[in-house]
Amino acid sequence: MSVSLDSPEQLPEAFRSTGMRSRALRSLRRDPGALLGAIVITTLIFVALAAPLLAPYPAQGRGEANVPARDLAPSSEHWFGTDHLGRDVLSRVMFGGRPAIGVALAVVILAVLIGVPLGMVAGYRGGWLDEALMRTTDLFLAFPPLLLAMVISATLGASLFHAGLALAISWWPWYARLARTVTQSLKHEPFIDAARVFGVREPVILARHVLRNATTPILVQATIDAGTVILAVGALAFLGLAAQPPTPDWGLMVAEGRTTVVTEWWISTFPGLAIFAAVLAFNLLGDALRDVLDPRTGAR
Amino acid sequence: MSALLEIDDLRVDFSRDGRVTSRALRGVSLTVEPGEAVGVVGETGCGKTLTGLSVLRMLPENATATGRITFEGKDMLELSAHELRAIRGRRISMVFQSPGTSFNPVFTVGYQIGLVAERHLGIGRKDGQRLVAETLHAVGLPNPESVMRFYPHELSGGMLQRAMIAMAIICKPSLLIADEPTTALDVTIAQQILRLLRRLQREQGFGVFFISHDLDLVSDFCDRIAVLYAGRVVEMGATAQLLARPRHPYTRALLEALPGKSEPGSPLPTVPGAVPGDRDEAPGCAFAPRCPLVVEQCFEERPTLAGIGAGQAVACHRWDAL
Repeated sequence: MSVSLDSPEQLPEAFRSTGMRSRALRSLRRDPGALLGAIVITTLIFVALAAPLLAPYPAQGRGEANVPARDLAPSSEHWFGTDHLGRDVLSRVMFGGRPAIGVALAVVILAVLIGVPLGMVAGYRGGWLDEALMRTTDLFLAFPPLLLAMVISATLGASLFHAGLALAISWWPWYARLARTVTQSLKHEPFIDAARVFGVREPVILARHVLRNATTPILVQATIDAGTVILAVGALAFLGLAAQPPTPDWGLMVAEGRTTVVTEWWISTFPGLAIFAAVLAFNLLGDALRDVLDPRTGAR
Repeated sequence: MSALLEIDDLRVDFSRDGRVTSRALRGVSLTVEPGEAVGVVGETGCGKTLTGLSVLRMLPENATATGRITFEGKDMLELSAHELRAIRGRRISMVFQSPGTSFNPVFTVGYQIGLVAERHLGIGRKDGQRLVAETLHAVGLPNPESVMRFYPHELSGGMLQRAMIAMAIICKPSLLIADEPTTALDVTIAQQILRLLRRLQREQGFGVFFISHDLDLVSDFCDRIAVLYAGRVVEMGATAQLLARPRHPYTRALLEALPGKSEPGSPLPTVPGAVPGDRDEAPGCAFAPRCPLVVEQCFEERPTLAGIGAGQAVACHRWDAL
């Protein structure tokens, strides 16, 4: 086949597609907050994973008591001091990252897996399905998520697993709402109509065209929520509704030190700071992700 | 020879809360023969695009279509969703007005075109991508392998429209609906796109349903022209004939309003008046209030589209006065 090119427009010079990786690196370099968030989260995850190797007193980190050395102030021996049972607070904080981050990720992933497909179908189909689903989410959203989680957790019995489950149950409606809103705004985009014109099936339109466009807001929200969930798990633990002693858990540790926070301040303060750092870092990272995940911002 | 596409008395109503709020198409009839390019012209709001969308059953949810649309022997309005999807993009495809918004911004161009090919031709990712490269080459894009990896925002409007055309022809359809394919492009690029479409039509032999408000463009491109006014075809005929001897006063007014026809310096001629509302209708001819040749009969009796010989048809009581 002979092809006349009809003098087609030439490709712009220095034309190269901006990949996700290069955008990620660029936005980290440009945004010190994002860099800080990424560093803190990487550090927290690394420390949590490597806690058995890094912690000065791994056994105490897991919960072994050492009563003779109790309530020691921070020193070169115990950088963060020791708690009422003589356990090294630094080791406990290191191990405490495991349930905190683990539950946060599990809760958010579960909430996304439940909420997003429901929200997308509701938003795309509309009609009675949409009504039914949205009224269901209204029911959940009528209660503050933490309160709802407290009720569920108290009913199921206080444990870390139940607290996570309770939080996921109270969190998924937010993702259903978010996914629905995004889907509704995308539904009438010409490219969705174009996909339909070209005979693409509805599940494929949802799973490819809509989902990929919804990924950015959902992932950003999920990242920020991971921080919020850490805070919520901490709050539940503080109230005795999540992890039980002797589990190393930041919220639980704050609770354990609360009666003596004026005199033995280190027992509550360091796990509290860990929660603060994790929440802040997830928030910073969430903001940065917004820039990284959207190919259009690469053109700036 | 049976027609590729036969639209017979197509009516589209928009309704809200069970009440009809607008009668947008009031009985459109036209045919497209295999390999033929038919232009549909008319003012904004006359129902050009709606006719095109009806063929693909892409009407908004609050619209209902009645009548018959026969494509390759099948009644499009009766098809199941499944049968419909097998035709969309495979036997009939469409090129849109604004290529910039017709591609999903988060996928590369090659991936999106590939999806259509994989879906309809039952081929794998690898064969699909090879076919995409070939097709992009066929629509005159240089370096198809690199163009494929670009996101839509990284391509110019003209290149995107070529990519859109590639997506439309990749499954070798028998009918291409082109809805103002050059409106969003500048004049030189528009000419290239038209030349490209004509070349592809010659090579692949698909029929074209060309929607445009630009009579110049349509007469350049199409074998036959249908003139739409207020949801009806008022005149249809072979391009040369229609241009040389328009039989409907509206067609004549449109032709006279072409900028090239008037003296430099003189005010540009227009068609006086405005398109009538689409709600209720007086019994007579919809064009009567704007018509220079209007007589009593025009307000009382609606003219129907009737053949006047040599393949030309017109809906006017006074066609022989022109």
